[in-house]
Amino acid sequence: MGKKKNQEPKALTQGRKTRRRWLTFVRMCRYGVNNFSRNMWLTVAATAVMTITLLIMFMTLVARQVLIDTVNEIKDKVDMSIYVDTDTTADQAAAIKDAISKLPTVTSVMYISPEQGREEFAKQNKGDIQTLDALNEATNKLPGIFRIKIVDINDPTELNNFVKNNELYQENKDPDREPSFQGDRRTAIETIGRWVEFAERGGLVASVVFMIISALIVFNTIRMAIFNRKEEIQMMKLIGADRSFIRGPFVVEAIVYGFIAALIATGLGVGALYALKDRINEWVTISGTVDLVTAYLGLILLAMILVGAVIGVVSSLLATRKYLRI
Amino acid sequence: MYRMILLDRVTKSYGRDDKPALNRISLHVEPKEFVIIVGTSGAGKSTLLKLLTREEKPTSGKIVIGGIDYDQLKDKHIPLLRRKIGVVFQDFKLLPQRTVYENIAFALEIAGMTSKEIRNTVPKVIELVGLTGKEKQFPHQLSGGERQRVAIARAVVRQPKILIADEPTGNLDPKHSWDIVRLLEKINKYGTTVLLTTHNVEIVNKLKRRVITLEHGKITSDQAQGSYRQ
Repeated sequence: MGKKKNQEPKALTQGRKTRRRWLTFVRMCRYGVNNFSRNMWLTVAATAVMTITLLIMFMTLVARQVLIDTVNEIKDKVDMSIYVDTDTTADQAAAIKDAISKLPTVTSVMYISPEQGREEFAKQNKGDIQTLDALNEATNKLPGIFRIKIVDINDPTELNNFVKNNELYQENKDPDREPSFQGDRRTAIETIGRWVEFAERGGLVASVVFMIISALIVFNTIRMAIFNRKEEIQMMKLIGADRSFIRGPFVVEAIVYGFIAALIATGLGVGALYALKDRINEWVTISGTVDLVTAYLGLILLAMILVGAVIGVVSSLLATRKYLRI
Repeated sequence: MYRMILLDRVTKSYGRDDKPALNRISLHVEPKEFVIIVGTSGAGKSTLLKLLTREEKPTSGKIVIGGIDYDQLKDKHIPLLRRKIGVVFQDFKLLPQRTVYENIAFALEIAGMTSKEIRNTVPKVIELVGLTGKEKQFPHQLSGGERQRVAIARAVVRQPKILIADEPTGNLDPKHSWDIVRLLEKINKYGTTVLLTTHNVEIVNKLKRRVITLEHGKITSDQAQGSYRQ
């Protein structure tokens, strides 16, 4: 019985403490929201800067994705060519094709016979009478072409080994034409390969740099906003407010900035993407990115809110820390 | 004997080579006393008040306020100490975005009082300082005298043992200055120790209270019913 009596006041004190904490939390939130609505010009400025920041982040990521898609599409269009003599028979060509397609790094092989090559050439130059006349008079000296796509255009080692070691190819190869991944053409293919790498790595670095710069801009805006109210903070301290009670409303306010800015930035960013997709599609590959954004719209909005809130919270915590010593 | 404020050979220097702002001063104030501190600018009045509110730490010496020894006070307990001391400033230091009611209630909210307790207490203090009817106004809608009344209401709403008023009439005309001084006297009559710093010769001489004079960081006079000449 006595034990129970001792426990009751303890439980009561604990209950009171919890109630106080809850009350304090609710009050901090209320003050944060009040500050947001009562400091109109600061609110507008901070929300605008945060919106621009999130928009820059969104656009940077979209641009990176578009760049990667575009370069990948170009990469897909790049094929490597091996040339065989005009006299190579269909059977020999089929055997070489079969051997090439068995290489693990090869994704597709297409054979264009000298006859097909001649027809294609005629089609391409149908407006050019002089060239067509020359073609009609000349004997067909066009080579047979194998158009080959490989997994990584930066690494044609396996194909290179095939060219050097395959006997059937060696017997039928066109002595006048080097394979495209050797000599001059190799440089062009390598340039494209470097662009792919640049799109992936450079895009990532640019995204990170933009994000850091944007976060710094937001941090400075919030710091200015808090600097403006340093006397208010000083006064709160002298009245006896705890650090957390002083900091709380600023943090809540920053979360509200982040939330509203995320809604506006996502709206503007996604809206702009939809509105401009047809025009942009003429130059770059954007449809994949638009599909991605459409599929993950909810997640993107959530991420934007989270990023906005985190930048806001970290900025306000750092900015108030200076004024909260003793 | 219990002393509300006790300073024992307190020195405060801001730089190593600078002259100390306060130089080995000792004083004590009894509970319910009304003490006026006078002195020219730079005499050390502000430093003294900053030491009492623990905005600054003394370079040497001992400070005990309401039984709390500052040497034993941990940083995390400073807010609790400040809730026991009411402070009023020359420039009011009100929260500009909050109404009269909210400014006063703020002092209770930070102490974790319930909304019901706040609703019961705040109107009484608003009545005490004569601002009934102005509860919903913002500081910028009030006169200087009214703003100072809000500041006083905020300082006394938690019924502190000590009220420190730092030049509370500095920004007011003579009529409003006297209103504020009368209000401080009323609060003192209810049992709060009041520490008032002022430049106003007329107020000091008419009040006939204890006057401590500071000059160049030292106490040069301490009179029970003092006067002041600039």
